[in-house]
Amino acid sequence: MSTSAQSGAFHPRGRRGSPVARSLSRWLVTLVLVVVAAAALYPLMFTIINSVKSRTGYSQNPLGLPSGITFENYIDTFNRMNVLRLLLNTIITTGGGLLLSTVAALFIAYAVTKLRMPFGNFLFLFIISMLVIPSQVVIYPLYETILNLGMGGSYQGLILAYAAFGLPMSTYLLVAYFRAIPDELIEAARLDGAGDMRILFEVLLPVSTPAIAALSILNFVWMWNDLLLPLVIMGGSDKTTLMVGIALLSGQYDVSIPLISAGLIIALLPVLVVYLLFQRQILSGAISGAVR
Amino acid sequence: MNTSDIAAPALIKAGRRKRGSTRTKIVLILALVLPGLLLAILFKLVPLVRAFWLSLMQTRGFEEPSFAWFANYQSMFRDPTFLQSFQNGATVFLTLPVWVVLPLIVALLLFQRTPGWKLFRAVYFVPYMIAPVVVGIMFRQILAPEGPLNAMLIGVGLAPLAIEWLNGPTSALFSLTAVALWAFFGLGVLTYLSGLATVSQDVMEAARLDGAGFWRVLVSIAVPLIKPVIGYWTVLCMSSMLIWMFPLIYALTRGGPGSSTMLPEYLVFITTFEFLNRGKGAAIGMALFVFAALVSAFVVRRMYLDGKGERS
Repeated sequence: MSTSAQSGAFHPRGRRGSPVARSLSRWLVTLVLVVVAAAALYPLMFTIINSVKSRTGYSQNPLGLPSGITFENYIDTFNRMNVLRLLLNTIITTGGGLLLSTVAALFIAYAVTKLRMPFGNFLFLFIISMLVIPSQVVIYPLYETILNLGMGGSYQGLILAYAAFGLPMSTYLLVAYFRAIPDELIEAARLDGAGDMRILFEVLLPVSTPAIAALSILNFVWMWNDLLLPLVIMGGSDKTTLMVGIALLSGQYDVSIPLISAGLIIALLPVLVVYLLFQRQILSGAISGAVR
Repeated sequence: MNTSDIAAPALIKAGRRKRGSTRTKIVLILALVLPGLLLAILFKLVPLVRAFWLSLMQTRGFEEPSFAWFANYQSMFRDPTFLQSFQNGATVFLTLPVWVVLPLIVALLLFQRTPGWKLFRAVYFVPYMIAPVVVGIMFRQILAPEGPLNAMLIGVGLAPLAIEWLNGPTSALFSLTAVALWAFFGLGVLTYLSGLATVSQDVMEAARLDGAGFWRVLVSIAVPLIKPVIGYWTVLCMSSMLIWMFPLIYALTRGGPGSSTMLPEYLVFITTFEFLNRGKGAAIGMALFVFAALVSAFVVRRMYLDGKGERS
């Protein structure tokens, strides 16, 4: 384990701590971090740049900066794949799945942690152990079950599937969070004559915003970005989601790279906006410990 | 496995011991528990049981399935594509050390509060937010023979490396894994950083004053202190390698060329929906389930220990 030049930053007053070596290692570390950052951002930049090139502009100069900016690819994308409808479908299914999974998890977490229900821990274990069943493994029988319920190609079918697959992690986060909330808070509310629903929604919910925020962001991102569930459950119906739309668009033979780039930007923009808005919550690490 | 059956009599027994509105409490608990329980049973447990049942059936296209015991499993183990998909999976698993170590090094570089570390952290997480299918389509362009990666390699004088990344059997699997790592990397940095946040700065500082270099601090101090986080991240990487690659394969290679990027999760999909062999698809699904369940059991155990109460 020999120490290289870049190790200097770790021992400002150490043996090799001459000022020159120190600033050199500082620069090296920053250089490494900048290179990694460039690698992380380049594909996104490349796609953005291509999305504003015209078809001929792209074929003349596929890799460089565009000579002029055009939005014709975005207009084309809107014409070719009913973006607004797909966007609406994605919002409905993601929103529905998110809401249902959060409410179901809230109920279970309340019953398990605050009502002293018998076999509470067993129920908790049962719900989180559903995590061992990934969608890929059960995809056809899941589809069959949704068909049996008469929900094939419908919003409800996908919403229920999303809710079920988001449930284990949501329940875990809320149970762990509710455990840390002192029971006195609930006893006090009960003495004031509050019923269970009021305790849950007016006492517990406000104090658990960090947990709710974490699980909402987590569920939003995977539901919005998911491909397999909508691909199978929605099939070729007009209720399919943006990700399925973009996957199908990219499979068409006459699609140019500027056009598909515009489609990609449309598909990832909402998530990017959410990321910018909730950066603090996302990066604080509340989520990193609890990813599917 | 049905909790409501087991829990119901016990609920009544427990309720009787208390005075007051026992019955209302039972009704309340049932009402609270039922939605989640139904979701878990209907859309997770039932499909799993049905998948096992289906794996015992002979299915041909849309014909009525017939019971065939373990014929699907027998034909599965003789199927070279199936064997190759698991072999490919094993090859991907061999890259695990890179998945574990690379984010750790970067997290440690950030942890020493390099100027602008917050910005770097934010940038590194961007790829994870982008939908994997979008990532796949993006990289299909970047890895294209005339794409920017090869242009850069030729530009810096590494022309022999500018190959058809997605068209060679070895390079395609390598590219797929690298793209997955690109997308997953930022989550690792974030996970490590939240682990490192619990480590006392004094310990690190003391080591630095004693003249310990970067690698020394990494190996002797950081790694032992955040061992649980490293273990958790390792498990997370393993489970992603098993069940997170589907959209990437779908967008990048469709399992090809040949079946060189065929992974079990993609093979389940193709066998079921393209070859219309649902029975065999289910059998392959069960084989994948064994591995996926083994790996995620560690995550569940950690979650259970973290969230269970002292009572009951």
